[in-house]
Amino acid sequence: MEKAIKMIKIEITPKEREELDRELNKFLQWLEPMLAVDTTETEQVLISHGAVNVFREDLARQGDLAELQEAAPDFTGGFYLVPPIIE
Amino acid sequence: MELRKLSINQVAEAVCHGEITARRLIEETLKNCSVLNEGLNIFACISGIDALEQADAVDRKVANGTSLPLAGVPVAVKDDICYGVLPTGLGSAAFKEFPSPYTATALERLMNAGAIIIGKTNLDDMSLGSTTASSPDGPTANPWDVERTAGSAGAAAVVTGICMLAIDSDSGGALRQGASHCGVIGLRPTMGRISRYGLTTYSSSFGQVGITAISGENIIHALEIVSGFDKRDASTAICKERLGGKSDFTKVKGIKIGYPAAIFDYLDSSQRDILDQAREEFATKGFEIVELELALLPEALQAYYVIALAEASSNHSRFDGIRFGTAEDAGDLEELYRKTRSRTFGREARRRSIFGTLLLSKGNYDFYYRQALKIWKLVRQEFANTLAKCDLLMLPAVKTLPRLVTEETDFLQAWEDDLFCAPVSLSGLPSICLPAGQAGKLPVGLQLVGRPFSEELLALVGDQVIREIKLFPHGIS
Repeated sequence: MEKAIKMIKIEITPKEREELDRELNKFLQWLEPMLAVDTTETEQVLISHGAVNVFREDLARQGDLAELQEAAPDFTGGFYLVPPIIE
Repeated sequence: MELRKLSINQVAEAVCHGEITARRLIEETLKNCSVLNEGLNIFACISGIDALEQADAVDRKVANGTSLPLAGVPVAVKDDICYGVLPTGLGSAAFKEFPSPYTATALERLMNAGAIIIGKTNLDDMSLGSTTASSPDGPTANPWDVERTAGSAGAAAVVTGICMLAIDSDSGGALRQGASHCGVIGLRPTMGRISRYGLTTYSSSFGQVGITAISGENIIHALEIVSGFDKRDASTAICKERLGGKSDFTKVKGIKIGYPAAIFDYLDSSQRDILDQAREEFATKGFEIVELELALLPEALQAYYVIALAEASSNHSRFDGIRFGTAEDAGDLEELYRKTRSRTFGREARRRSIFGTLLLSKGNYDFYYRQALKIWKLVRQEFANTLAKCDLLMLPAVKTLPRLVTEETDFLQAWEDDLFCAPVSLSGLPSICLPAGQAGKLPVGLQLVGRPFSEELLALVGDQVIREIKLFPHGIS
């Protein structure tokens, strides 16, 4: 509990801490029916909405370098120029 | 113009045909709003001038010959959904003035169709609850009995006739329970049906945008506008089953309704009697009642809370005063986080964040969280198997009638109020809450759950129940 309180970065008074300890015990007891269900043969759900990533075939394709260079805001002397990030 | 007696279609046509201007309609709405809000505490903030400007814009478009399917329709929006003109307060004193970074897709689509946002409705602190009791502005009173909570301020806005639509959020059942407590229809659609871009949800897996209205017809008209793929929300579905658009809202025949009798034993006798009567009325009106089982309801509720708490602890970690909320004065970053979050997080938010963090910690992760993810799988399978035997599943909506505003509840009692709604959230399926009767003066709702993307069927059945079965008076005087 101490570690969790430190992780969430919220100040908890000693009185609040006592109450949270009691509530946590109640909560964990409340979860017992869920823990008693046999799920050894069950997979877990990982995505709520059932959508999947759409992948293309992992095959190299011929790109057009000239097209890329032309699309860049500033391409000079073989370099893509970007705004400075360090003053 | 008494909005509760008209359909959205009728109102939009009246505005498009010049029978009434959108401006006049919204002036009346804002007047009603200020009168009723005083006693009921529905709105956290009201659009006022902006709503009138929106109305003027609609009138100009109509004068130029543009047809707007929702012309002039007043809409209330829960204050955890971003609307660019007003702050997104999230029911939290710390976010009262937080400027919305953008407007949610659902609201953009409504406004493009001519609807007018009247204001942001009250909610529990950080949307963690289904009663509005923990709102820093105080709870929203139930229009049927002001000593009791409304559950959803949006539902209160609809039943009082202030607005024709409320756009609400629903994770564990806030929208549906509010619809039950206020005697209106509330739809939680299939996950992916409506874009969640702009929704501030504590639970990424279960938080959903839904619609509350006085009729299924109104819900479907709104759903046609707001639903559909949104490139800004990767969880939206490219839905092949489009809404009909010209649905015949008369009889729907030959529907099988699954009835898990044992579930109804969790109710008190007043609700049980009303829902038993509703079931009998369904049977006499030609619906086939199919008895079946739903075995995992309590375990599903527990799994919901394990997953939702874990997600809350993660999602709420961003509320540190840097990007969201106002930072406290501090000597270093650590102190800033601690002081800001200590001020921002109320009792329920602290509880959920701490418990969620514990559930995800080493040792607990496999024992609790992974088990909850597996229960989630079993619940989905159970709902799918059940809906293979029937067209719709009938469930209660709420465990108790609306609580007294002054009632103190234990946190587990409050979580157990989600017994009938949270498992449906796990299933990802659409569900609608309909008014099924009254216990004294208090409405009692009934929940119908459908197969994926069957919102239209749910709304059609809902309307048939209200019109032909007549279990409930239409709206509040």
